[in-house]
Amino acid sequence: MEIGTIVMMVLVLGLVWGGFAVLLWMSMKAERRGKS
Amino acid sequence: MQTKELFTSRWGLLLAAIGMAVGTGNIWRFPRVVAENGGGAFLIPWIVFLLIWSIPLLMVETAMGRYARKGTIGAFGRLMGPNYVWLGAFVGFCSMAIMFYYSVVAGWCFKYLSGAIGGDLLEQSGEQYWASFQASGWEPVFFHFVAMSMAGAIVYRGVINGIEKASKIMIPLLFVLLAAGTLRAVTLPGAAAGLNFLFNPDLSLLLDYRIWLEGLTQSAWSTGAGYGLLLSYAVYTSKRDDIVMNSMTIGFGNNSASLLAGIMVICSVFALAPADPGAPAAAELLQLGGPGSTALSFLWIPALFQQMPFGRVSLIIFFVALVVAAISSLIAMIELGTRIFMDAGMSRKNAVKFVVAGGFLLGLPSALSMQFLMNQDSVWGIGLMVSGFLFAVAVNKFGVRRFREELIEPARNDIPVGRWFDILLKWVIPAEFLVMITWWLYQATINDSRWWNPVAVFSLGTCLFQWGVAFILFRVFNGRMAAATLKESES
Repeated sequence: MEIGTIVMMVLVLGLVWGGFAVLLWMSMKAERRGKS
Repeated sequence: MQTKELFTSRWGLLLAAIGMAVGTGNIWRFPRVVAENGGGAFLIPWIVFLLIWSIPLLMVETAMGRYARKGTIGAFGRLMGPNYVWLGAFVGFCSMAIMFYYSVVAGWCFKYLSGAIGGDLLEQSGEQYWASFQASGWEPVFFHFVAMSMAGAIVYRGVINGIEKASKIMIPLLFVLLAAGTLRAVTLPGAAAGLNFLFNPDLSLLLDYRIWLEGLTQSAWSTGAGYGLLLSYAVYTSKRDDIVMNSMTIGFGNNSASLLAGIMVICSVFALAPADPGAPAAAELLQLGGPGSTALSFLWIPALFQQMPFGRVSLIIFFVALVVAAISSLIAMIELGTRIFMDAGMSRKNAVKFVVAGGFLLGLPSALSMQFLMNQDSVWGIGLMVSGFLFAVAVNKFGVRRFREELIEPARNDIPVGRWFDILLKWVIPAEFLVMITWWLYQATINDSRWWNPVAVFSLGTCLFQWGVAFILFRVFNGRMAAATLKESES
């Protein structure tokens, strides 16, 4: 795999998948606190 | 005011809304658009427009639905005044018109899933299977009926027992299937070439304005921003629901699904593309349009998957994912129509029956004629850009700052919304729309000498003609629609 591919994979997947995972985690945490 | 059900949890709302956004387009359109626009470089504008078009519009839809507690017609009426319900009617009709043919496409997914399970899909070439399916005449109609009935049955059971319960099963299942398919694809010999194609960016392509326009259209179509679908779900959310984080989660969830599907499809195609000279190369295969732009899914994926070990299992996973994605979006479209008729005084059960029966009948021309389906896909797909702009118009008429202070900030938002929202809604989104529509008008006239033809499958004329008829009819019946829809809030 080319180096550009690896860098871009880390950036894009980190931002999109990582962002989605963090947002889901924050949502579940908020729900546990009793916030809708 | 009529008592309305509310989603029982934030989790339930998020899953239903992600189901609305993630549709068949994530699985077949995204890989094709990436391939047409140079691979990795396209991902940059696609993510930028998620942040400056899709997420702000998802926030607007959520705030409008929760404020008005009505579907698109009533929400525009409440926000802009009774003289403007016709704009909300256009937004609602645009999504309904998409529903008519989307159900036909969902039916194709059912047919192919049954073929993958039964094994007959593996016994013929992709072209033969497709041709005999379409030539039968009754099969596309039957599967259109199956798709419409199944999604309608879920909406019929209501928000909590139908939409929320189904979403809690379907959406985690969809992500598991996409993850399983992706894992299988990246472990195929030769998959690395697909990853290079998808992720290695040629940054010089970013100087081409077309990549930015395609990034905007893909983000808008894929997230469902400006369809009015999230607005219809937001009617059933609590007053204190976090608008900002929920909208961001929906947008990022949709893009996550697109990336999973993109890796699955692109790596599979690169690993399995025919090696014989004269056969289309992997990048060409990904760009094939075909019936309703679905040649890749319905002609090539079955052929390619047959070549790998456990190909039938992978094929079943692929088509179950397509069916789930299609049904979860179809549910949202039926709910949009149902909500509008409920606002006019119908019971949920009668409204669902009316929308499902109407949707089935008005989808028949698309089930019987591919030309008709492609025409509708083009007219109302582009119409969604107009819908998104109408949301920005509504917010500007109400007052952008007032909208933020009265409709968004009172919610318990974990992520603060500041003046950036005002700038996006007042300047950025209208500018994006103007650039995009100007570019489209330019392309449509310069590339087609008969651009004015109102009965062509693809033309500027057919779009303007059909949008024009819809706008005129809704403007003429504005008073009646306002009286029927806004009566509760006036009393």
